[in-house]
Amino acid sequence: MADPAYFSLRKMLLDEITPVVMVLPTPLVEQRCQKNGLSFVQMLTPFSVFNNIDVPVRTASDQPYRLQKFKLRMFYASDIRQPNIEVTKKRLEQVIADAGNNEDSELYLDPSSLEARSTSSEPEFVPTWFQHFNKELVRSVSFSDHEAFDHPVACLLVVSSNDEDPISKFMDLFNKNQLPPLLNDGAMDPKIPKYYVLVHDNQDGSPERATKILAEMRNTFGSNDCRLLCINSSQGQSVDHQPNPWDPYGSNASPGQHLGCLLNNEDMDELRNFVRDLSSKDIIPNMEQRIRVLNQQVSATRKGFRNQIKNLWWRKGKEDTPEVQSVNMYTFNSIESQIRVLGDYAFMLRDYELALSNYRLLSTDYKLDKAWKRYAGVQEMMGLTYFMLNQSKKDAEYCMENAFTTYLRIGTSGKGNATRCGLWWVEMLKTSSQYKDAAGVYFRISGEEPLHSAVMLEQASYCYLLAKPSMLRKYGFHLILSGDLYNKCDQIKHAIRAYRNALSVFKGTTWSHIHDHVHYQIGKWYAFLGRFDVAMKHMLEILACSHQSNAMQELFMRDFFQILEKTGKTYNISRLQLPIVNISSLSIVSEDHRTYGSPAAVSVKESVWQSLEEEMVPSLSNAKTTWLDLQSKLLPTKLKQSNVCVAGEALKVEISFRNPLQLSIPIYNVTLMCEYSENETPPDANSSSSVNQGVEDGKKATGRESNSDTSLFTLSKVDITLEGGETTVAQLSVIPRKEGLLRVTGVSWKLSDSMVGFYTFDPDLITKKLSKQKRKAKQNANKLEFLVIKSLPRLEGAINNLPSTVYAGNLHRLSLELRNSSEIPVKNLKMKISHPRFLNIGNPEVLDVNFPSCLEKKQSYAHKDADLDVTKQSETVFHFPKDVVINNGTPFLLPLWFRAATPGNVSLYLTIYYEIEDKSTTMRYRTLRTNHMLEVLPSLDVSFFINPSSSRLQEYVVRMDIINRTSLRNFKLHQLSSVGNEWKISLIESLNHIFPSGILVPGQALTCFLKLKNVKTSETDTETDVWLGDVSNEAVFDTQRAPLVNFHHYERLHQKTAHQENQSTVDFMLISRMEESENVPSDVPTPPQIFSHHACHCSVSTKRPIWWLLDGPRVNHYSFSNSFCETKLKMTIHNSSSFVASVRINTFDSPPGGSPSGNKIGWHDMSTPPSLDDATGGRKLLESVPPFIWSGSSTTRVKLEPNATTEISLLVTTFAPGTYDLSNYTLNWNLLDSSDSEEKEGVCYGRPFYLTILGEE
Amino acid sequence: MASTACFMIVSRNDIPIYEAEVGTAPKKEEAAHQHQFILHAALDVVQDLAWTTSAMFLKSIDRFNDLVVSVYVTAALHTRLMLLHDSRNDDGIKSFFQEVHELYIKILLNPLYLPGSRVTSSHFDTKVRALARRYL
Repeated sequence: MADPAYFSLRKMLLDEITPVVMVLPTPLVEQRCQKNGLSFVQMLTPFSVFNNIDVPVRTASDQPYRLQKFKLRMFYASDIRQPNIEVTKKRLEQVIADAGNNEDSELYLDPSSLEARSTSSEPEFVPTWFQHFNKELVRSVSFSDHEAFDHPVACLLVVSSNDEDPISKFMDLFNKNQLPPLLNDGAMDPKIPKYYVLVHDNQDGSPERATKILAEMRNTFGSNDCRLLCINSSQGQSVDHQPNPWDPYGSNASPGQHLGCLLNNEDMDELRNFVRDLSSKDIIPNMEQRIRVLNQQVSATRKGFRNQIKNLWWRKGKEDTPEVQSVNMYTFNSIESQIRVLGDYAFMLRDYELALSNYRLLSTDYKLDKAWKRYAGVQEMMGLTYFMLNQSKKDAEYCMENAFTTYLRIGTSGKGNATRCGLWWVEMLKTSSQYKDAAGVYFRISGEEPLHSAVMLEQASYCYLLAKPSMLRKYGFHLILSGDLYNKCDQIKHAIRAYRNALSVFKGTTWSHIHDHVHYQIGKWYAFLGRFDVAMKHMLEILACSHQSNAMQELFMRDFFQILEKTGKTYNISRLQLPIVNISSLSIVSEDHRTYGSPAAVSVKESVWQSLEEEMVPSLSNAKTTWLDLQSKLLPTKLKQSNVCVAGEALKVEISFRNPLQLSIPIYNVTLMCEYSENETPPDANSSSSVNQGVEDGKKATGRESNSDTSLFTLSKVDITLEGGETTVAQLSVIPRKEGLLRVTGVSWKLSDSMVGFYTFDPDLITKKLSKQKRKAKQNANKLEFLVIKSLPRLEGAINNLPSTVYAGNLHRLSLELRNSSEIPVKNLKMKISHPRFLNIGNPEVLDVNFPSCLEKKQSYAHKDADLDVTKQSETVFHFPKDVVINNGTPFLLPLWFRAATPGNVSLYLTIYYEIEDKSTTMRYRTLRTNHMLEVLPSLDVSFFINPSSSRLQEYVVRMDIINRTSLRNFKLHQLSSVGNEWKISLIESLNHIFPSGILVPGQALTCFLKLKNVKTSETDTETDVWLGDVSNEAVFDTQRAPLVNFHHYERLHQKTAHQENQSTVDFMLISRMEESENVPSDVPTPPQIFSHHACHCSVSTKRPIWWLLDGPRVNHYSFSNSFCETKLKMTIHNSSSFVASVRINTFDSPPGGSPSGNKIGWHDMSTPPSLDDATGGRKLLESVPPFIWSGSSTTRVKLEPNATTEISLLVTTFAPGTYDLSNYTLNWNLLDSSDSEEKEGVCYGRPFYLTILGEE
Repeated sequence: MASTACFMIVSRNDIPIYEAEVGTAPKKEEAAHQHQFILHAALDVVQDLAWTTSAMFLKSIDRFNDLVVSVYVTAALHTRLMLLHDSRNDDGIKSFFQEVHELYIKILLNPLYLPGSRVTSSHFDTKVRALARRYL
């Protein structure tokens, strides 16, 4: 029957539910015992546990069995009462606090990994003080009146041999006043067995007096119930017990004292025998006896059918009684109490069958009586009994749940019991490995008391961990819950422990709020405990809390900086999350032979530059080999592939920082981290790692103490303030000072004075990035490594006064300024401009002359040809004069003409090639690349339409449309010129009539007509310019001179279209100037804004190669009285094509425009009005049947040589006065030898020619 | 009546790919992490339950105080739709899950969406919130 108690609950029950012995000592007894640092009860306690007592017991039905394990619980009578709640609470808090302090040492270690935890067995990681705490909790509800197992089964009356009159003392001890309330208020039978013990202190003298008193006692109280106990037999020297049996029990002894120092081995044997005899000879038989008696009583009153009916009847009758009485309803005499006592005694003596049957009996009674607390108590015991019987697990759990819920239902008084019941239930579930359910029960136990709840929740979490499969997330969650509760009770250390354990679940979680909460709380608590270094480690985790609200971010930041300040240490954090470095944005610009005039020039595609430079640079690949060849002799091949930069020239690095927060954060001292090595051979692959390690430490030093390293390289420092969510590009630079090998290793910044973040560039990642950007993709060398070569001259150039916004057509004189800051002069300069339409190189003397008057027409044409030379040259590469050498200090100025050719955004690229005079350098030449962005606004739109004059051959009417497209500025027209000597232009009517003001306001359009005449032969001055201005006192500009002629040249090239074979085109140039706007202060003398607009290749030729002109009298007076009128007309035909043309002239008598298909000569079908009427509009009506006919031949065919002219006479006959439209003829032409099928033949329809016939009286 | 509802889509390896507070209750600071904790812990239960039934809608599987966790398991990539709520509207929740699932499938069909990555589509977000207003 006695199972080995290896289950913890079994052990616990066998410990807790054991007979209680009430002890009543005299003060002298206590005094004697205190010599050992022990109270009387404490002295006996170690000996009241028996592992092998071997007492024969009989059950109520006379079944013999033997008890092996047994335990007595000794209590002073004063302790046998319901513990004070406040005291219990304090004691529990003490337990927790102690436990917290004990764990101090491991609190700061890294939490062990979760895997290790879940595989190890339970006791290794579940804190051991839980057991202790649970025991205390269970004890806090002992000595309740509704349970009988805490009722004392016996009473020890203890008197010292030194006491005066021991017999009467014995009598006094069992005094009603001192007895516990249980006995007094009738909850239990006051007639409990008493045992009389005489304690003799051997130090007080010989035991004779004691034996005398014992004999006296035996006489008085009966011989069986009296005992003598001799203690303190040790003479003089103290006895050191190893192991000391009192250690677990002695609580209030001073630490120096040996517990039981006066008790020698004989005393201990005597104590042991005393307790053993007491239990085996007296207490157990007594209890057995009691069981028998009670069993008989119960059987008599309750067993059997008749009794059950009676009982039921009796209980029914009691239903009306109010429940309030139920507290005192069951005295020890009542049958219910007796059954309970019987059950508990049976339980304590391990007769579980008997106990169970009695509990069952009782539970129905209590239920009927609605005595809920007692009912719950009985249910609880039933559950335990089922468990001890190890049968019907389901029943056991059912009973426990029932008891638990019942306890909870009765409110505050049942809370403690509920906790105890729950704890036992949990243990029961754990025994059967139902950890998940156990966790649920723990969760239910946790009530309002935060501290208890915290412990319970923590225990629940361990249950989740132990569950199979382990529920890690629940584990974490419950640890967090318990941690919060610990925190509420100011048990910070426990809170940290709980959170840290939870961290093993939540480490690296992507659940952002969880992550932040856990780290923030731990960090805060560590800071509270003063462990700022550990706190920092956690606070660093929450820096990138972009998902949090603004307020939370502020809170995090504030606490972070507070803790950082208190830490008082300087942190160097790799990959600090604040701000975030966007590594893909990294771009490094090193200048080798290519130098850049501006940052914008760097971002221009390398191919643009290469196409510009390919004519200037000796040969790109060739050039490369020249200096690389040179290098390869000096340097190992490995370095040939690394980038080159020049000492003293900045290596520019751009990297962008992103602020993940909504707050603005300032960062200071953003700077690069660089390594410099003197030797030009890089370390081998094997040793490089170790070198890197060594450099790790030095790196921070270089980053911070850049000033001390000025001899090697100089770093720039930038301070940035990042607004919330902003991305900012930091422009950093490092200037190497010496030849060697420079490596950019990373970037560092200061978040505050003691928080330095750095980011080490991973060479592998960046190689990829850069190789995309740069053309040298084949080289897989480390892009962060730079070979520093000797200092070289570096040319710097800028275009002075280049406007960023201009109006189209605007003409400027600019100058290019080149400077060389090095001692070594440069020579052999060449330059190329990407858009010669915009920029033109002027002669050096242009710098001195007056603009724009230099454009005015003069009589001498001396240097006209020279200018044209320039025009031709600048198409390719402009060579600076051979003698140009740019030295240190003297800037070189080159005049440039600028004209904004077309509206829009324009990038002008300019590269200048120069060679270095010093031959010893590794680089022989360099190029300077500059880039200028311009915005060109539209100004005037000029268009020309040229029509052949219908009245004269070789003359044209030109319509010029000008629109001012600006929104604000006025234009004053200046002149219109036809470029070249071939064409003469003149105004048809004076401009003063149609355009009196001479100023074109914004949006205004102007149309004017001009006459254009071809002058083939003239070598001398022709009238190529027309003055359009209002007053003609200003000089006309010479379109034949630079820069106008140069720009015109490029315009011609640009406006060239596909069919430009015809030589008969004309180019126009309109020159205008902008009126100064009124709001510009006039005291600044601004040069006049000259504009030139070019219209090139305006074709004068029409599609047809045939020109004709019908000529004759327009008005004819004639008397119709005699006959009809005949009018002679003359048609002049010109063949302008280069082929022989055959022309056929057909005349029709049908109305003009009608039926031009014209086969039916002579008559016209009236019934089908031609559908082409629309073309002529309503001009033609049917009644206007032509009152004229063409007389003479209806068809004439002529053959024309190229460029030949012929005349044909035609005759028209009219019958009545009127005005006639003589357009009803066609010219069918046919080019005989032309191979072009499109232009081989065609039909021309007659042009209106009005003939008016007036009748003559 | 102000109700609490926190909707979340959890992908493989318990990585949340979408989260939204869809309740009408005023937002509290500590609620954000509390909701995450509850939902995260409920995953343990989902893990057990998902294999015991063929239904996708697992009903209320876990509770914490008065907050209930309902879960809908999808077939794709072990993705779970989780809703923390305090109302008792099972039918509404089921319809909500079904419609959100449909939306999520549309997201998956997007060739530019990498399965298992965060759902950042604002269209999806507005749709989910509209559904929440309709059904919850």
